[in-house]
Amino acid sequence: MKQKAIYIFLSFLALAIGVMIVIDFNSTRNKKGKGNPYALDLEPFRTVDPALIHYKETRNILLKCDQPRAIFYDNNRLYIGADQYFQIVDLDGNQLLKVDLPDAPQCIYSAPGGSIFIAFRRHIAVFDQQGQHTETWEPLGDSAVITGLAMRDSTLFVADAGNRCIMRYSAADGKIQGIIEGKTSAADLHGFIVPSPEFDLAVNTDGELWVVNPGKHSFENYTDDGKLRTYWETSSPYIEGFTGCCNPAHLAILSDGSFVTSEQKLVRIKIHKPSGELVSVVAPPAKFVRDGKAPDITVSPEGIIYALDIDQKKVRIFEKKSGT
Amino acid sequence: MERTKPYNRRDFLDGGMRMSLALGLGGVGGLLLSNSTGEDWVWQIDPFKCTQCGRCADECVLTPSAVKCVHAFDLCGYCDLCGGFFLPDANDLNTGAENQLCPTSAIERKYIEEPYFEYVVNEELCIGCSKCVKGCSSFGNGSLHLQIKHDLCKNCNVCAIARLCPSDAIARLPASEPYLVKGDFIESESTRSE
Ligand code: SF4
Ligand code: SF4
Ligand code: SF4
Repeated sequence: MKQKAIYIFLSFLALAIGVMIVIDFNSTRNKKGKGNPYALDLEPFRTVDPALIHYKETRNILLKCDQPRAIFYDNNRLYIGADQYFQIVDLDGNQLLKVDLPDAPQCIYSAPGGSIFIAFRRHIAVFDQQGQHTETWEPLGDSAVITGLAMRDSTLFVADAGNRCIMRYSAADGKIQGIIEGKTSAADLHGFIVPSPEFDLAVNTDGELWVVNPGKHSFENYTDDGKLRTYWETSSPYIEGFTGCCNPAHLAILSDGSFVTSEQKLVRIKIHKPSGELVSVVAPPAKFVRDGKAPDITVSPEGIIYALDIDQKKVRIFEKKSGT
Repeated sequence: MERTKPYNRRDFLDGGMRMSLALGLGGVGGLLLSNSTGEDWVWQIDPFKCTQCGRCADECVLTPSAVKCVHAFDLCGYCDLCGGFFLPDANDLNTGAENQLCPTSAIERKYIEEPYFEYVVNEELCIGCSKCVKGCSSFGNGSLHLQIKHDLCKNCNVCAIARLCPSDAIARLPASEPYLVKGDFIESESTRSE
């Protein structure tokens, strides 16, 4: 009887030890354990009301490259910079031209029917539509980091994140015609605030130059001689605004003057009215890699949005849903 | 033309304001030697592997934890709207506790010049919870990150946090190079290809 009691006791002991091992295993060895009492919940900012999403992804073009870098739409063609080359593809993704480059392209711009401008870190190189290299412009200084190109008539605007300014070039000969520093007066302590190399600009169909001031989450319209004409800004982690130290990272302008924006970290693509109010969401954060890079964006005159997904290495094509 | 590697955010920031955090941590080098058990290895967090799970605050054998937030000033944007300092939906950009992310108000915000601010971690108040690290890496440049401070750490045989870390972010380092400070070392190309 006594022996039986010992066996029962030992069985319970073994069971208890087994349970403790399992609990310990679940709570520690598999590293799940208890929840995080200090968690910073970012889900409210990632969640987007589906009614706001007026676009759908209709197609995409997979890219065979290690590092997609820049995209530009012109005349039913996509100009794509990646690794150390640029290529022209038709809208079905068929390659029409590929040109090797000596360095990584940072931005790309094709003047209608004319030259292709490739921005490297400190300088611009010009190619014709057959891929022949025609010119290399004088490099900017050591601290230059070119992050955006836009054009009006024969003027090429170049965003230099390193020097926090916009260079105004003559596209014909590559000569600098002026510098826009983003200061409304000489007494201003700051102009463009660019904590990381995300600094973009665009010209709308009326020829107005708009520059993103990413540290202020503002959109600023400048005259050619660098005077601030108007601006709007909206800081918010919610879908209505922009957040983080450098957003939006990329900008394109639709033919009706609306802004198409692409953001990093909380990656999302949205459309804002020329006056700043949110119009719709093209692609919510759920469409992208978490904490990913901001897709470069370009638009067709018909309003189709082409997003270069850097993390997933593809061109994603977004078109307006019918009835929105 | 010469071929060069692609330009990334790290290069951009390296070319800007450079203030080495290693200077601050270097000051504890002597303490490290006297405080360590004489072994050649110490525990340290790889900030690029850390996923800010919060365990560094509660699982260290010490209270408060030997893990502290450190700031790589050379990576910081000195932003007014700091994602590591302010709650994402802060009512106002002022230092009111209700606007701050840090549960112990361990981060000090100092005005430099319009519109730049410096963020300094008060180590005595920091409990290593990584909430600011999450905010900084989600909205900013990722300059705030965790490190095990070797003037505090007991250099346990098996680090109690390393055993539980869901990201395997804590490993032994040679005591001669006890810190993995962001901006001071380059993480593997496979993990960062910006
Ligand atoms: S336990 Fe690991 S993942 Fe969690 S905060 Fe510490 S180092 Fe980061
Ligand atoms: S949020 Fe947490 S890790 Fe950051 S300073 Fe405060 S206590 Fe330290
Ligand atoms: S080794 Fe020990 S004292 Fe040091 S951080 Fe890990 S648990 Fe804390």
